[in-house]
Amino acid sequence: MKSINRIFSLTIRNLKEILRDPLSLIFLFLLPLVMLVLFYFLFGNLTIQFEIKYFAPGIAAFGGAFISLFMGILIANDRSSAFLTRLYTTPTKSYEFILGYAFAMFPIGLLQTILFFLVSALLDSTILSWNILLVIVVNLLVTMLFIGFGVFFGSLCNEKSIGGFCSILIMGQSVLSGMWFPIEGLSKGFITFMEVLPFRNSVLLLQNIMLGNGEYFKPLLIIIAYTISIFAISIFTYAKKMKQK
Amino acid sequence: MENSAIKIVNLTKKYKSVIAVDDLSLEIKKGELFGLLGVNGAGKSTTIKILSGLVKPDSGNAFILDKSIIKEPNVVKSFIAVSLQETSIARNLTVKENLDFYASIFNIKGEEKKRKIDEIVSQFNLNEVLNKRAKHLSGGWQRKLSIALSLVSSPKVLFLDEPTLGLDVLARRELWKTIKELKNKMTIILTTHYMEEAEALCDNIAIMVNGKIKDIGTSNELIEKTEAKNFEDAFVKIAIGGNE
Repeated sequence: MKSINRIFSLTIRNLKEILRDPLSLIFLFLLPLVMLVLFYFLFGNLTIQFEIKYFAPGIAAFGGAFISLFMGILIANDRSSAFLTRLYTTPTKSYEFILGYAFAMFPIGLLQTILFFLVSALLDSTILSWNILLVIVVNLLVTMLFIGFGVFFGSLCNEKSIGGFCSILIMGQSVLSGMWFPIEGLSKGFITFMEVLPFRNSVLLLQNIMLGNGEYFKPLLIIIAYTISIFAISIFTYAKKMKQK
Repeated sequence: MENSAIKIVNLTKKYKSVIAVDDLSLEIKKGELFGLLGVNGAGKSTTIKILSGLVKPDSGNAFILDKSIIKEPNVVKSFIAVSLQETSIARNLTVKENLDFYASIFNIKGEEKKRKIDEIVSQFNLNEVLNKRAKHLSGGWQRKLSIALSLVSSPKVLFLDEPTLGLDVLARRELWKTIKELKNKMTIILTTHYMEEAEALCDNIAIMVNGKIKDIGTSNELIEKTEAKNFEDAFVKIAIGGNE
């Protein structure tokens, strides 16, 4: 019970830290939303990529990559300041810290997805179906994957390098997901490379659930495997860094 | 050990080839405000970090209220508090939220939490900044809040690592007043570079040189021992003597 109370307190603190930073609001919510609307109006009728039923799931996964950035920044800043050092002198355990960070990001991920699909439905009401509810639930798994990346980079990097490393991740999600361009013209080798990484699979998973075409088993397995792996590595890295501190 | 709050036994900590704490043994009485002085790299902060569970010693042990920092670190953590050199507050939370957060970390709930927070707010005169975000406070207020947070859990032993570092004279004096008010309510271990601070606040002072305690006593005793004009001269004589 004591542990649950501590995790809850850490979660609330972390949530407040992120939501009270105007920059995080801009990148977590506004930027993906602007891109959704802008690309829909500019190219929605020209290419299949930007039809809402394909583009909205892509934006939901893309927004998740910013969760890694702000999760990483929060952890790296806490590590470099005396804030965490002082907390290490309290009875708080390392798993409580990690869960406190992770749980703070779930409501943000959920809010992002609901907001993106709400606006998507306003742009194109034909996407409205029960599948959206399933996409919102499954996107929590994608959120978890990005939380894992955030904990990993936040534990590994300092407050100066975290931005650079997470930008690579955001670029990866953007370019290697294939959400912005048709991948048919790419070489077979590059497509295989994209398909073994989590980025394209996160988009495929959400798109296929949205379309209700049943082809989501493989990307689901890949995302689950990456999420478990990145969380295991993150917990190990965080605990190691905590001991070093 | 009935009357001792802290008992350090042959504590040693090395960082590669540097011996930060060298076979240190020391006893600090309950309710005492004990000063740890020394030049940079003397081992003061490492000693505090070991005692507060942040750093593991290579050898030796220490007992805080009879509990071993090695065998029962979590029990020790439940009755100590640390205020570090750097201000350690949640910057985007208000003063009240910071107090609330630390109370929750120690599982202080309901009426007890409210009573404790009210008591600290009044003790540190935090009322005027209660709803301000911590990052908008001046350096003096931030440091005051940082120390106030250490008291939320009603610690029996409080470590203050250079609490007035970087503060202006007025803010420093204000903080001295607060620290004096804490005297006898708990055991306090204070590290500082300011001689007048140690002289004004501490019951007993240990001077550390190269990870060892070179001398120990009240400020007057140390002045007398070294036949110095004042405490600063006494400190210099002891510190230089230790390097010879």
